[in-house]
Amino acid sequence: MIPPILKNLLRIKKFDISVSIILFITLVGIIGPFVYTVDPTALHAPPEVPPNNKYPLGTDSYGRDLLAQLLHGIRSSLYIGLTASLISLAIGVTIGAVAGFKGGITDDSLMLVTNVVYALPSIMLMMLIAAYLKERNPLFVALIIGLTSWPWVARAVRSQLMSLKSRDFLAISRMAALSDLKIMFEDLIPNMASYIFMAFVLLMSGAMIAEAGLSMIGLGVTRGVSLGIILYWAQLLESVRRGLWWWFIPPGACLVSLATSMLLLSTSLDEYFSPRLRGR
Amino acid sequence: MLLKVKDLSKTFIVGLLRKKEIHAVRKVSFNIKKGEFISLVGESGSGKTTTSRMILRILKPSSGSVIFEGKDPWALHKIEDLKWYWKQVHGIFQDPFASFNPLYKVDRILYQTFNLLNIESDAEKEHLVKESLKEVGLRPEEVLGRYPHELSGGQRQRIMIARCYLLKPKLIIADEPISMIDASTRAGILKLFSDLRNNYGTSVIFITHDLGLAYYVSDRIMIMHNGSIVEEGTPDEIMEHPKHHYTMRLKEDVPLLYRKWKGF
Amino acid sequence: MSTLLLEAERVKSYYHTREGTVKAVDDVSLDVENGIILGLAGESGCGKSTLMNTLMMKIRPPLYLVDGEIIVDGERISKMERKEIKKKIWGVKISLVPQSALNALMPTKRIIDFIRDVVKFHVDVSDGEIVSMARKRFEELNLPEDSLYLYPHELSGGMKQRAVIAISTLLNPKLLIVDEPTSALDVSTQKRVLKLLLDLKKFKIIDSIVFVTHDIAVLRQIADRLVIMYAGKIVESGTLEDVLSNPKHPYTAGLIHAVITPEPEIRKRGLVSIPGEPPNLINPPSGCRFHPRCLHAMPICKKVVPELVDISNGRKVSCHLVKA
Repeated sequence: MIPPILKNLLRIKKFDISVSIILFITLVGIIGPFVYTVDPTALHAPPEVPPNNKYPLGTDSYGRDLLAQLLHGIRSSLYIGLTASLISLAIGVTIGAVAGFKGGITDDSLMLVTNVVYALPSIMLMMLIAAYLKERNPLFVALIIGLTSWPWVARAVRSQLMSLKSRDFLAISRMAALSDLKIMFEDLIPNMASYIFMAFVLLMSGAMIAEAGLSMIGLGVTRGVSLGIILYWAQLLESVRRGLWWWFIPPGACLVSLATSMLLLSTSLDEYFSPRLRGR
Repeated sequence: MLLKVKDLSKTFIVGLLRKKEIHAVRKVSFNIKKGEFISLVGESGSGKTTTSRMILRILKPSSGSVIFEGKDPWALHKIEDLKWYWKQVHGIFQDPFASFNPLYKVDRILYQTFNLLNIESDAEKEHLVKESLKEVGLRPEEVLGRYPHELSGGQRQRIMIARCYLLKPKLIIADEPISMIDASTRAGILKLFSDLRNNYGTSVIFITHDLGLAYYVSDRIMIMHNGSIVEEGTPDEIMEHPKHHYTMRLKEDVPLLYRKWKGF
Repeated sequence: MSTLLLEAERVKSYYHTREGTVKAVDDVSLDVENGIILGLAGESGCGKSTLMNTLMMKIRPPLYLVDGEIIVDGERISKMERKEIKKKIWGVKISLVPQSALNALMPTKRIIDFIRDVVKFHVDVSDGEIVSMARKRFEELNLPEDSLYLYPHELSGGMKQRAVIAISTLLNPKLLIVDEPTSALDVSTQKRVLKLLLDLKKFKIIDSIVFVTHDIAVLRQIADRLVIMYAGKIVESGTLEDVLSNPKHPYTAGLIHAVITPEPEIRKRGLVSIPGEPPNLINPPSGCRFHPRCLHAMPICKKVVPELVDISNGRKVSCHLVKA
């Protein structure tokens, strides 16, 4: 049995398209390295070979297999995106929910902190932290991104909660003498679930772009590959000018289609959950 | 006296730097007897809804008191006392859609009331829920197990009233309960309120912007304007000899069915 | 015989939605004579707003004009290009103040700037002329001229509504359609808006008004003719006095009996509600759409759609109980 909500969602074309793209790339990233077991960091192939039978996506200037790089790159980019978005979601939702529910001085002080972090240019912050670390594995990069991108989530969750708090059904539950905790878990959180999920999708696409951004300025992972790192090397060795298209197009396309389809997914969810936008 | 409201006021403070006080309700006082049907009439922004929420113990008053059967609900803090209060004093709101949490089946609204009632057996709960639905003119099999958006506004508002039939409170505060209901089905819902009063001696505070409605249903009308009650009296007193200039204007400006305005 | 300002002939306009086709306006014919105020009454969801949009040819997917003709002041707008309608018909021959008119004004523009844009779209005049035209009109209608230089949020709800109506009639359209113009307003403001509508007609700025509302007591104050709509169809029409004092269609009678006003007559006669609920227009009842709720339903009502027939002097009813 398909739950009715999923059935309705599947009727939205944008949802179908975006979910299929995300699922496809994700599966490629997860299963790919097991099927195509070439080491992405090995330097034994001839350099700058265009795609052929032996190297389906060609090789880079150091003789690394670009298909292997792409498969591992997708994997670690997704890992960084997922971890970073979960970190910022956890911080953002907690701060937003406490501020919105408690109100008063708690709200004021939490929002002050949030606004301060919000006002800091996050790319500067990321650069500072990243430059300070000599060795950066994917988890570190995810942490850096996650710790700087939560403020808008906190603000959004807080304002959602504030508007939910004034809804009549809350007063109705209160008049049935339900405890605060029960109201929180039965009335408030479930009504924000769709919203939080949308925030999660947006955060993830943002985090993957941020990872690429960090990598491009040379502050990405120091070990292993990610989509950003492939692009960084491609850029460093002027692959565009030299016409080595197989080097930068596949990772660029993967990154763009992942990020775009995540934005599209969040738009389609928004359309579904807020009837104002529903094309009637 | 069932309910005594004395000098009830609510002031909202808005703005962070330049604080501004908004006096939503100013020193409202009135009493309600058992079985009385009174209307609180005012336009939007007159403070009538704020007043009702303070009596329902949802919005804390800035000053003044609410005394129900000798007790101030805002002095009650123990969960048992609160259960007692909401069992006796219950509310119905304007928008029958907003009253339901859209994620749950409508059954929840009714079963919630058992938190206030001492009923243990599931069979009895089910029986009582079905009985209450029948009393408000709904067929239990047509509404139970459905989600709010699958029912019409009229059906949803009837379910809210069924909740009151389960609780049989001594006082119901109904905030514009029929203003979002189709005209052709309003009378049936109004009748449910008078049935509650006639069968169980329930007192009703009816909050409305519609003078005609208040005139039709109530024993006593209170006119509210800018946070204060400016006039009160029986429907006939209010319509025939309004004293306050606001009431006079209201009476002049209400469109009538059997009389045409002068100069129109 | 008075001339017709608007003729709608067997109009059908449907919404094509994911859930199915909503027959919001189904085979409706409606005439508006010169010089009258026509009141159109019906409950929410009966298709009255859709009908108004259709009469204006303000038709955008998912709404489609499926069939029928609309003639405004001699021009067949149901066949016209949208561009042409925009330029030559809207605001010039016929204006619509929609239900959401309170949000129609641009929040970032002063009223006068908004007026300038609207007028310039239709006619080629200088800014100065537009300003003096607007000032003159506001003065004539007894609206404060200062409000021309304010932003929408600085106006009260009633003033905003009156400003929107004044702007919509600036180019002296022959027909003004107002959709629930007063339902969000308190009664005193409502009365002022109604007065404004009467003034527009008195000063011959407009010839006729179509007033759409669910509130029959309001129509009682201003309308000359009454049209009752139910579930996408017109069930009855006639002069206000005739329809109110002698409703022929059971739904009309029910609707009038549901009116509540502070009058002793209402208390005496009591309130009666119609059993059941208005139908879903994706799958309306067969035959007469009112038959499931009708106390006088006969076997034929379930099968045959009653025609809207003229029973005497423009009094029309669509009911099997009534014979021409």
